[in-house]
Amino acid sequence: MLSPIVECVVAFIFGSVAGLLMQRSRFCNTAALRDAIMFKTYRNTKAMLVAMMILTVGFTGFMSLGAGNPLRFDVGLNTFAGLFLFGIGMVLAGACTVSTWVKTGEGNLGALWALIFTFVGMFLFSVLWSSSWWPPAPQSMTGQINAPALQLGFANAQTLQEKLGIPAIVFGLVQAALLFALYRGILKRERAQHVEHEKHQKEHKKTKAQPAQSAAATTETA
Amino acid sequence: MEFFKKTLDPIIALAALAVLNIFMFLLMGAWTVGGGETMMTGLTAQAVLGDDLQRLPFWSVVFPPHADYWKIYISFGMLFGAFVGAVLSKEFYWRVPRHLSEWILITIGGLLMGFGIRLAYICNVSTFFGLMPEMNMGGYLAMSGIIAGAWVGSLIYKKILEG
Repeated sequence: MLSPIVECVVAFIFGSVAGLLMQRSRFCNTAALRDAIMFKTYRNTKAMLVAMMILTVGFTGFMSLGAGNPLRFDVGLNTFAGLFLFGIGMVLAGACTVSTWVKTGEGNLGALWALIFTFVGMFLFSVLWSSSWWPPAPQSMTGQINAPALQLGFANAQTLQEKLGIPAIVFGLVQAALLFALYRGILKRERAQHVEHEKHQKEHKKTKAQPAQSAAATTETA
Repeated sequence: MEFFKKTLDPIIALAALAVLNIFMFLLMGAWTVGGGETMMTGLTAQAVLGDDLQRLPFWSVVFPPHADYWKIYISFGMLFGAFVGAVLSKEFYWRVPRHLSEWILITIGGLLMGFGIRLAYICNVSTFFGLMPEMNMGGYLAMSGIIAGAWVGSLIYKKILEG
């Protein structure tokens, strides 16, 4: 166990490197989803998939050995609903939580504004939670299915390993293979887009060249 | 330095970040954003409201405000790292949204993000770079939620752009 101060220092160093890499690469999670949906461009989506493949193999690999600190809390309908609202919000705000920090660091006051209202949204939720006590707090989570609270319990590669006796890395490799298939699908699509684009450009040149030729023909006959 | 002149390939950036994130996973836990912001909200609310904050059990049961919560410093680090990157590459300048409509969209978007993070207990970073790679069932739930949300958000955005 690290002391809280050491944890904070490690977190700050990690965050700084993350901020620097995001700033220099213009990576943005919002763009990874939005651009794929709205514009059919995949610059950020591909990077996100690569990171997910590396992480899946890394995390499940260490989980097979019993190492690592996976997140431990029950999930349920609130997980879906919350991220659904988040998904709408990030497209409207043009940034997710990470890019709001990164863009604020670049001097973007709109991003700072989004961040302030993220805090306000969190506070509003705390008011609502204080009267409903839903979803259950991590402290009272049991890991089991809790239908009245719309909770599905807790399961990850580690619980699969414990229940089925198959090392977590096996599931991780399957997931990484699926992510890779998705990545290749995107590459294929990009190639098809590229071919289509070139075709369009050639046609465009032709239609431009034709009137010029006919104009040349008329001057010749004259 | 070349690093501050050219845009970095996001695949290289994210691959490097993934390796670092594996170290984080081993030390404390995977990269996450949202918990830190909630603590900042709690600390701010405590500074403003004082003991009145105790009337909201959320801040004593779920998130008792502590300034030594490591997740806060990931976010401050990102702000700092991005600032350094922007200054060294001469990309730092004040950007202010011009239209009122942009401010309104950002406000609504921010509110939805904050509310959504707390409702789900996680944000998009933990979805893609934490829960999904841990193969947590919540990761798949969250991912379907965020994709559906981004799709609806894009529809709304397109409507606004066209109208």
